[in-house]
Amino acid sequence: MISVKNLKKSFGTNEVLKDISLEVSPQEVVVVIGPSGSGKSTFIRCLNMLETINGGHVIVDGKDVTDKKTNINEVRTEVGMVFQHFNLFPHKTILENITLAPIHVRGLKKAEAEKKAKVLLEKVGLSEKASAYPDSLSGGQKQRVAIARALAMEPKVMLFDEPTSALDPEMVGEVLEVMKQLAKDGMTMIVVTHEMGFAREVGDRVIFMDNGYIVEENEPKALFDAPQHERTKAFLSKVL
Amino acid sequence: MDFRFDIIADYMPFFLKGMGITIGVSLAGVIVGLLLGLVIALGKMSSNRWIQLPFNIYINIFRGTPLLVQLLIIHFGIVPLFMSPSNPIVSLVIGLSLNAAAYIAEIFRAGIQSIDKGQMEAARSLGMTRAQAMKLVILPQAVKRVIPPLGNEFIVLLKESSLGSVLAAPELMYWGRAAAGQYIRVWEPYITVALIYLVLTLSLTYLMNYVERRMSTDDQR
Ligand SMILES: Nc1ncnc2c1ncn2[C@@H]1O[C@H](COP(=O)(O)OP(=O)(O)OP(=O)(O)O)[C@@H](O)[C@H]1O
Ligand SMILES: [Mg+2]
Repeated sequence: MISVKNLKKSFGTNEVLKDISLEVSPQEVVVVIGPSGSGKSTFIRCLNMLETINGGHVIVDGKDVTDKKTNINEVRTEVGMVFQHFNLFPHKTILENITLAPIHVRGLKKAEAEKKAKVLLEKVGLSEKASAYPDSLSGGQKQRVAIARALAMEPKVMLFDEPTSALDPEMVGEVLEVMKQLAKDGMTMIVVTHEMGFAREVGDRVIFMDNGYIVEENEPKALFDAPQHERTKAFLSKVL
Repeated sequence: MDFRFDIIADYMPFFLKGMGITIGVSLAGVIVGLLLGLVIALGKMSSNRWIQLPFNIYINIFRGTPLLVQLLIIHFGIVPLFMSPSNPIVSLVIGLSLNAAAYIAEIFRAGIQSIDKGQMEAARSLGMTRAQAMKLVILPQAVKRVIPPLGNEFIVLLKESSLGSVLAAPELMYWGRAAAGQYIRVWEPYITVALIYLVLTLSLTYLMNYVERRMSTDDQR
């Protein structure tokens, strides 16, 4: 589904991703962990070209996004993204937030888009908020809307960049619950998170990144219970 | 000091006609300035340096030189190439529009860049093109932030249209100077003209405040 080969990314002279390779199969849930500044966000943003890549290849659903001939907008419709700070459109209602892209990018009729949006709102438990504006929602509700908005494009992959890091602790659960359900429904997911419980329970594979490299990857149980590398051990001892 | 109200009464029809032209040229200047300004702002924000360049030059020239000089060059140098004799109202509208466009472009650019980067990223990550994201997500939010500075720009433009008197465009200030010249009086014509400008700018301020309040209660943001 996603194939990353020798990905390199620098900001000026700061080489943030040094040599990243990763294969993600359909329906797989890959959790990315690592210390702050290790390049997790940069990595996930490279997957849908929110960052320009300096070297290597990223192939999403058979399309090389690093190839100039690839229509990046088309690829992005297949890749949903959920941000740490939600990035809902404040001038649109919740329903409009969800239908905007399906109408203008997919070319859906308004009625059809709204029907689908309502199903998604139901799924994330926010049916009654359809006509509210984002500002009136709690953080947890905003993030669930953001997930519904991404799902409305019917993506093949979902990327999450620390979806619960900006939330008050009591709201983390409701968002993780939606993500768990999504994983259960067979969505391919790449999730950057500090929620080790989620990684362990939902992840098929956990990637530990440090200093621009993938230091270690394994099944959650193996990685958490028997880390092989010193840096993984050091990191885990701090967060677990 | 005797204050000759008869001069004011005598010239009132001309002052009112001049006021109409002042309002007209300012309005035209703002409308053309808005359209041109948006294009210039988007051009200046292009990621391509070579596309940015001409828009940068434009903004620097029109903001960095006096409007009076611009008006004189336009009226006596450029408009005569297309039109003879050159019409001072046409020259004034062109000058005000081009000048306002430079300031309005910067207002738009500041407004657009004040929108959180995450908005563009969210829109693009949903598959929207840059143009779609601008039109559907960024500009609607930027509009609210640019209304107050645009109101200021309109007020500035209204006052600066008085420079049209130098080109003999028959706007408000022109008639003030005409009255002053005919009667060799200072206070009566200029105080009257100043008061009319004041009424115009205060009305405009009031109108802008009203629009701002309407927009902030229109929806949550
Ligand atoms: N737009 C940018 N311009 C310059 N440097 C950047 C930019 N974005 C990220 N960086 C740098 O890249 C490095 C990796 O950042 P990144 O955000 O990918 O880390 P992260 O692993 O997501 O950290 P965190 O857990 O804090 O979110 C950091 O040193 C950061 O300063
Ligand atoms: Mg990050």
